[in-house]
Order: sequence, then structure tokens, then C-alpha cells
Amino acid sequence: MDTLIFLLIVLTFVAMWRGKHRAAGVLFVLALIAMLFLFRHHATDTLPISL
Amino acid sequence: MTAFRAILAMFCILAVCGVLLGAFGAQLKGDMPCPLCILQRMAMLLCVAGPAWLLARSWKREVDAIDYAQCYGASIIAALAGATMSGRQVLIHIAPGDPGYGEPMLGMHLYSWAFVVFATVILVSGLHMLALPRRTERLPFAGASRVVVGLAVAIAALNMVAVFFEEGFHAVLPDNPTEYRLLDDLGIHREAAPPAESETPTP
Repeated sequence: MDTLIFLLIVLTFVAMWRGKHRAAGVLFVLALIAMLFLFRHHATDTLPISL
Repeated sequence: MTAFRAILAMFCILAVCGVLLGAFGAQLKGDMPCPLCILQRMAMLLCVAGPAWLLARSWKREVDAIDYAQCYGASIIAALAGATMSGRQVLIHIAPGDPGYGEPMLGMHLYSWAFVVFATVILVSGLHMLALPRRTERLPFAGASRVVVGLAVAIAALNMVAVFFEEGFHAVLPDNPTEYRLLDDLGIHREAAPPAESETPTP
């Protein structure tokens, strides 16, 4: 999953470079959401904390 | 002022890329990044995407205050996410006597530096928004900005390859990575890593 998120980030940059700004925005948001889901996994499942 | 804004955008990208290259150098020296470290690298690259996006827009047309606000707003959102992750990792190791994860660099661990970077990105983006242009403008230094954005793309691709080697064909990274799992997945056996000590620090 980490590799896929990095792939999303690379594609975001490529879309920016090619002038596909709407696609870049969508990819940026997808990468951000995927990153937060992965953080939630690591924060709650494998390294539990209590707030 | 237009030139200053272009230079500041390029400086933001170069500064964060420098930190990412430093972290990559530590990885090459054997300091394997933990899952939270990898997440912070992702957040740093998304922080870089803001000013890179602004520069990319300026290659084809003039940019205005809306472009600045959208691009630096994206950076602030990514920096908030990254600060949450690095702040959590700082809190894991905040107890007195905890050795922390990995080797300190210039007196602080990488995740503490990451928190400083994210706080700085938020501060600089906020300051940048205080000086928004009142009319459209074409940013100078298009050639230099292409080189700088290209460097960011190269670093993102480099990190993608490194993480693929570390993760292999598994869904997520292990909590305490000690080897590149792709080599095991492909049947390329290396010398076994020494057994983990009983008090291996958690990431």
C-alpha cells in the first residue's frame, strides 16, 4: 500500500507537469486520503494508543 | 515581488527535498525507515506538491491569487497531516530514558526534524498568503523551476522504488523493518539479519 501511495504522489507530479491540473487535484486528494487510512491502521491496529 | 514569490516557491521545494535526501542518505547507511517515517516522507512530498503545482501552472499561463491560495492551501493540509504523524511518533518516545527510533541527526531524531519541517511549511505558506498578488502575473525563472520540480519528481520516484524494495509484495510495512523484503519475496536470499534485541525500540 505504501508503494501505491508513492505511485499516486508521482502521478500527481506528472499530471501537474503535463498541465492536467484537475487530474492532479484528484490524485492529490486520493493520496492524502490513502495516507490517512494507512496512518489510522498503524496508529490503531499495530501500535495501539489511547486518547 | 513577483521574482521573490517564484524564488520562495522554489526554495520551499528545495528545502523539503534536502530533508528527504538526508533521510534517504540515512536509509542508505542502514537506518531502515519505519512505517511512520515513510508516512512522513509521503506528507513531505505532498507539501512540496503545493509550490510545485503553482510553478507548473505558471509555465502555461499567468497565475493569480486563487492559484496561490489553492496551491499553498494544499501544502498546509498536507503539513497538518504530516505534523499529526510526526507528533504521534514524538509522543511515543517522549518518556524519559526512551532511546527513540533510529540514530539522531544533528541532535534530534528524524521524526522530530519532520515535525519542525511541517510546522515551518505551515508558517511559510501562511506568510506567503499574506503577500498574495492583486493581479495576475507570470512567474519568472521558468527553466529553473522546471529543474526544481523535476528534482522533486525524481525524489518521489526514488522513494517509491525504495519503499517497494522494503515492502515487497506485502500489504503494509512491518513495525520494525530490518531488511528489504522484496529480496526475500523474489527468493534472493541474503545473509540473515542479526536477531532483534529484547528491547528493540518501537517506531
